[in-house]
Amino acid sequence: MSETVKRSNPLVWLIDPLKSTASHADPAYRFSWSQAAWLLPLAIGIAGLVVSAVGWATDSHQFYFSYLIGWAFCLSIALGAYFFVVIQHLTKARWSVVLRRIPETLLWSFPLLAILSIPVILGMHDLYHWTHHDLIDPASPTYDPIIAGKAGYLNTPFFLARLAFYFIVWTVVSHKLYSLSIKQDVDPDASIPQRLRKTSAIGLVLGAISTAFAGMDILMSLDPHWFSTIFGIYFFAGSFMVIMAVMALSAMLLQRFGMLKGVIKIDHYQDLGKFLFGFTVFWAYIGFSQYMLIWYGNLPEETLFYRHRLEHGWETFSAILLLGHFIIPFVVLIGRWSKRLLPLLGFMCVWMMVMHWFDYFWVAAPVLHGDHATMSLYDIAAWLGLFGVFAGAFMYRLSRHPLVPQRDPRLHKSLTFTNT
Amino acid sequence: MGTVQSTQSSRPRSNNPLTSISTDAAMLNQLARDVKASMSIYDAGEDQVYGLLAEFAHPGELLHAAEAIHEAGFRHFDTHSPFPIHGMDKAMGLGNSLVGWITLGGGITGLSLATLMQWWMGAVDYPINISGKPFFAIEPSIPIMFELTVLLASLATAAGMFALNGLPRPYNPLFYSKNFARVTDDAFFLHIAASDRKFDQETTAQMLQELGASNVETIHDHGEEDQD
Repeated sequence: MSETVKRSNPLVWLIDPLKSTASHADPAYRFSWSQAAWLLPLAIGIAGLVVSAVGWATDSHQFYFSYLIGWAFCLSIALGAYFFVVIQHLTKARWSVVLRRIPETLLWSFPLLAILSIPVILGMHDLYHWTHHDLIDPASPTYDPIIAGKAGYLNTPFFLARLAFYFIVWTVVSHKLYSLSIKQDVDPDASIPQRLRKTSAIGLVLGAISTAFAGMDILMSLDPHWFSTIFGIYFFAGSFMVIMAVMALSAMLLQRFGMLKGVIKIDHYQDLGKFLFGFTVFWAYIGFSQYMLIWYGNLPEETLFYRHRLEHGWETFSAILLLGHFIIPFVVLIGRWSKRLLPLLGFMCVWMMVMHWFDYFWVAAPVLHGDHATMSLYDIAAWLGLFGVFAGAFMYRLSRHPLVPQRDPRLHKSLTFTNT
Repeated sequence: MGTVQSTQSSRPRSNNPLTSISTDAAMLNQLARDVKASMSIYDAGEDQVYGLLAEFAHPGELLHAAEAIHEAGFRHFDTHSPFPIHGMDKAMGLGNSLVGWITLGGGITGLSLATLMQWWMGAVDYPINISGKPFFAIEPSIPIMFELTVLLASLATAAGMFALNGLPRPYNPLFYSKNFARVTDDAFFLHIAASDRKFDQETTAQMLQELGASNVETIHDHGEEDQD
């Protein structure tokens, strides 16, 4: 670490590993909102988690599923940020430099998310059917040969070891990307862009493998008979889509409160809109590829996943997902005008974030309520609770550093970027 | 055609039917000229004058000149440079390309054709039972529908692009200018066509000089016969 950027104290480290560099920020890139603004989303988050705690006390089975969906939602935003930053460095992207601090700040969500995973680990017995020992004991009357066959991979110690491995990879790569970029703000060094690129190259490979497996472990194994080799990409598609919505909304909020005026322009929003549109379509493409192969193959343990989601009222939820996650955003976002009309783009960003959560709900909730479709109040409470805490920590970090990588050699190109 | 007729019927009847026919013909000619002008194909004016070609030293000067020419009300003009200049579309007042609508048309045609084809071949013309699957189902048809949508949309885009920009264009009267050969190297040109309603050889040339053109020359369209 350099002279000017120091490690923060161990208590704050979990939220922000670096001491504040806000005093070094150029006036144009300063966080001028109240320093306590982050307490607002945190308060909403804590309120949501208190309601969730009531859910845990009364109906713990429901609570664990609600919590898992909300937690996976926050994790996917952090992973989307991870991939966005890595890809920008590797492609030496110029247009996105003014936006990059937003996903960079989201990168350091992994340590907090690791702490927040404790209820998921405590609830594994309720969440993951394959954790039940009687299923893999040949002498037991409930012996399940399919799950017993998968026990070499789907067992609690290995699951926890994998989860730990993913979080270590994500945290180490994120720490490097985050701290190097902040260091560049105050102490520019010509070698930094190249070091960021090198980290990104390794980070992309490790991130791709760990994200694919994390998606399968966390969400796919909820239904342990079922398997789909494309599920990792499905998980990635959603997270890379939602990060565009989060970035555009964060930028709009910052500008609403008088920051980054004239720095982030309509041309940058239009490009975020293009990505949002593109990865909504990509999500549909991957989701359909999964569905079509299962439809064609017609194997019992594969078709069951869709069978569960097409009966007992879940067919309505499936229709809403198709309409709200693909058809409506496709029609709305295809035009150039809609991506340059900020109120509409902002609405679609909120819409897509809700739909992204709904996608995970659609994957997880039918496992719990297979025989009647229902959405619980605790689903919403856990989602808002976790997202509030997540957003509060994000705003706290954002307020401590310049809002733009202000000494990035490509910043000038980003400031003058125009979209034809 | 339809718009011409409707303006005709709303107009008071002319005593002489011959004049109204000639006005219609003139309007059609004007329409054809404007469409061709949008593809940078201009008709020569009196004495085979094709227009004025002004040379500028820098891309920035060309951009500002184009802006000024557009503001002065000229529509039949085009710019030529060795590389694309950012902001030129806006400076020339070109607006958004219409090619997106042609793409949409191609895409919808592809989607409908593929749906029809899948249904007709699978369920009507040659139904075969393959592992008990329905003769026509939307699931296996979507890849075909998607591919044909993309194929026809992209073909329509390429065709529409060539139709709207008037390319390829092996003969262009601008090739009569010796200077114009440098357009692929280091020169920046603005061409105002004689067919423009505001065109006047003297005043337009003077205006171009005032905009900073280093050289303004009059181009004559001699036709294709003496190109050797």
